[in-house]
Amino acid sequence: MPNLNINGRNMSVEAAGDTPLLWVIREQLQMTGTKFGCGAGLCGACTIHVNGEAVRSCQTPVSEAVGKKITTIEGLSAKSDHPLQKAWILEQVPQCGYCQSGQIMQAASLLSKNSNPTKEEVVAHMDGNLCRCMTYSRIQKAILRAAADMRTASNAGTERRPT
Amino acid sequence: MNTHVKKISGEPADLSRRSFLVGTAAAGLALGYSAVPGLLGADQALAAPAKFDPSVWYSIGSDGLVTVTCGKADMGQHIASTMAQIVSEELGSSWKDMRVQLASNDPKFNDPVLGAQITGGSWSTMMNFDAMSRAGAAGRIALTQAAATIMGVPAGELVVRDSTVSHPKSKKSMSFADIVKSGKITKTFTPDELKAIKLKTPDQYTMVGVSVPQLDIPPKSNGTAKYGIDVNLPGMVYGAVVTPPVRFGATVKSVDDSAAKKVPGFIKAVTLDDKTGSTTGWVVAVANTYANAKKAAGALKVAYDGGPNAKLSSESLLEEAKRLQKLDDSGQFFVKDGDTAAAFGTAAKVLEAEYTTSINIHAPLEPMNATAEFKGDILNIYSGNQFATRSGAIAAGAAGIDPKFVVMHQMWLGGGFGRRLDADMMVPAVQAAKAVGKPVKVIYSRENDMTMDYSRPLTFQKVKAGLDGDGKLIALNHDVVSAWPTQRWGIPDFLSPSVDKKGPLDAFTVNGADFFYSVPNHNVRAIKNEMAHNATPSGQLRSVAPGWTFWAVESMIDELAHAAGKDPAEYRISLLDGKGKNDGGAQRLRSTLLAAMGMAGYGTVKLPKGEGMGVACVSSQERATASWTACVAHVAVSPSGEVKVKKLTVATDVGMQVHPDNIRAQVEGAALWGLSLAMYEKATLKDGGIEQTNFDTYTPLRMSQMPEVAVNVIANGEKPTGVGEPAVTVIAPALGNAIFNACGARVRALPITAEAVKASMKA
Ligand code: FES
Ligand code: FES
Repeated sequence: MPNLNINGRNMSVEAAGDTPLLWVIREQLQMTGTKFGCGAGLCGACTIHVNGEAVRSCQTPVSEAVGKKITTIEGLSAKSDHPLQKAWILEQVPQCGYCQSGQIMQAASLLSKNSNPTKEEVVAHMDGNLCRCMTYSRIQKAILRAAADMRTASNAGTERRPT
Repeated sequence: MNTHVKKISGEPADLSRRSFLVGTAAAGLALGYSAVPGLLGADQALAAPAKFDPSVWYSIGSDGLVTVTCGKADMGQHIASTMAQIVSEELGSSWKDMRVQLASNDPKFNDPVLGAQITGGSWSTMMNFDAMSRAGAAGRIALTQAAATIMGVPAGELVVRDSTVSHPKSKKSMSFADIVKSGKITKTFTPDELKAIKLKTPDQYTMVGVSVPQLDIPPKSNGTAKYGIDVNLPGMVYGAVVTPPVRFGATVKSVDDSAAKKVPGFIKAVTLDDKTGSTTGWVVAVANTYANAKKAAGALKVAYDGGPNAKLSSESLLEEAKRLQKLDDSGQFFVKDGDTAAAFGTAAKVLEAEYTTSINIHAPLEPMNATAEFKGDILNIYSGNQFATRSGAIAAGAAGIDPKFVVMHQMWLGGGFGRRLDADMMVPAVQAAKAVGKPVKVIYSRENDMTMDYSRPLTFQKVKAGLDGDGKLIALNHDVVSAWPTQRWGIPDFLSPSVDKKGPLDAFTVNGADFFYSVPNHNVRAIKNEMAHNATPSGQLRSVAPGWTFWAVESMIDELAHAAGKDPAEYRISLLDGKGKNDGGAQRLRSTLLAAMGMAGYGTVKLPKGEGMGVACVSSQERATASWTACVAHVAVSPSGEVKVKKLTVATDVGMQVHPDNIRAQVEGAALWGLSLAMYEKATLKDGGIEQTNFDTYTPLRMSQMPEVAVNVIANGEKPTGVGEPAVTVIAPALGNAIFNACGARVRALPITAEAVKASMKA
């Protein structure tokens, strides 16, 4: 019975070691913010952090996650107030929203290492995350905005982008 | 002209219209079940002791929160939020008090114009604007009257703003919450009274036209929004489907589950008996978890009879299309103006060209899924779906029960694009739930989702055009050969009479071909490719017919302009003369084209060798519901035929903007969809099966492939039109025309490939 450390809590789950972590998180732990899109590492909808690195949970067997620190969208911030989540709302990024947990988790792993990415670095880091609604330009803008917010002490996150 | 949209242009929606009937081959008629308990409606929304339900569309709780019930599927177009915005405008509520919930399939939530629950065609805003406005205004009037009684002042002296009714003279005021709690609201409205309400004029708007924060975005930024795939019911088990190698027509000969039985948690393999015709030859493996269901599905040994389509390929479908097009008596006429045969006889120049589009797959990021639960007499279905009225009937057909016993629980849709107009995913859920006596959630693998898509059909179009001595277009024959996606529904209201009285045709294969150019002699023939229809049952993919008809029309117009020695944009403007039936639309399209040209610097910017700009303009979706849209595409083509899209400039006239920021998001998304379909997405049929199975072989546009997109929205105060689809249709022809201007290569097949560009380059 594997023990997982997920979003700061220890939880024991009942699953064969080769079960994709994705399904354990979604079904047993009922954290459904992490999504299933392709099951083949091709879309990024299932992106979570394992020891701070963005990984595809559909490609991660539960046995590999044991003893590591797992973070899902539910654990990214205490009050849905990670700078990326705030930027996502200010830039009004999501359309259907289905890809967005994965997009945010993927972006968070970039900003945790590089708080001043260029547009090219953003594109290179995000290219494995599909958005079928094609919200790419807003994703870019929101990442750059969140990066800027993280850099400045005075958080300017309250004003709306003019339309 | 499609009969279902006739009503929208003139009068306010007929609020009592319930004439729309739905029928499917399997389930017959489905309507009228408001007595079914447990429907998610205003009654269930709020536990507050005193509440006020001015209409089925919203209720106001004693806490002052206004909960709008959205009868439309929300697949990312933020339509629930838009409905709330329209209600809020007339109601006078504060935006922070607005909430939304998604409607069940109770017919009381049917579209007031369409009389059914269906979401598509970019119809939602245009067809619900009036009803939601009236619902909001009725609420305001009732609240005001109650407040007047309580305050003892004339209702006419009251002002409603920010969820508060105030009396400036006496400085008295009451919040909506207080008025609801007072229980003094007595006013009710008959349909005639509703119709008689004088609505605000656009100059009085304070909410419509404002980019308020979308209500569904916060839960979509923290993982809490619930999609169909997230449903969890007590005692629920999971189903994974095993689908045959042939898209349609296979049957199961035998199922060997001996290996599956060794998978822990395996419950049962259920072979579908699908009388609704939604699936053929499917088996569901049911297990205690989805991972185990997948393992069991993989362990099942299923033997198939491939059926009549097992040998067919994209090539055979195209060959059949060409054969049909050559026959004089094929198909039915959608447009028949003047006498093209005679005009061709007098033409100075005749051009002919063939245009094709490939099979395309919807591939919403949330794979198809449905959860079915039998509870007493009621079959509960949880799934994000665009066509509750028909899908409920299909679920009933799969269960062998009367549709009135089906309750559809709507969820947020992880992408729709037309895919979720269909209900195939409900069949395995229903039959598995029945077989194992537990609620079952069925989730398609991406491979199931791709290979069993109700795809955009492969199309073949032949266009023949005649020019007079001055290069003026005097005759056009346009034949469109495809599977007929909407005929497949079996709902007569969605078909259109043919001009030559040869029976109804599927206008959703030819819409757009009835363009706003003035061409005195003009034929459009809709030809059904029965072989493709059977082998690749097609669906409605974002923008439907205009996604291919304008590919042909707008490419051909360009070819004609070049043949006549005219600038392609100027040539279009001269054809948009607004004469006769084209009056109004043609002028708006002309202005939109000019706007796009101006923004892009068309004809003024000097481009380096190997670069070019191309234009296209469209009246998608339908003649009666057009959003006037134009694009200037700017491309660079390398000698190897590689195309780099540098910029897409899109202008669109949407009449009225309810939410400017959302319109830009939708138009940009639609334009990138157009680009994705034009250059990156291609599905093929081989041995009766779709060859592409996941995002490695079917490859929608990624972030690194995104060009600069400039969007210009024109809002001239006319009725609001749709924005979710039209921009899809304008991109491919603008690109093709830009490629021609860059390097002289004319491509006539979608998607555009470097090989095709290279092959057609002038030496
Ligand atoms: S579901 Fe894991 S990458 Fe697509
Ligand atoms: S918002 Fe729909 S897939 Fe990204």
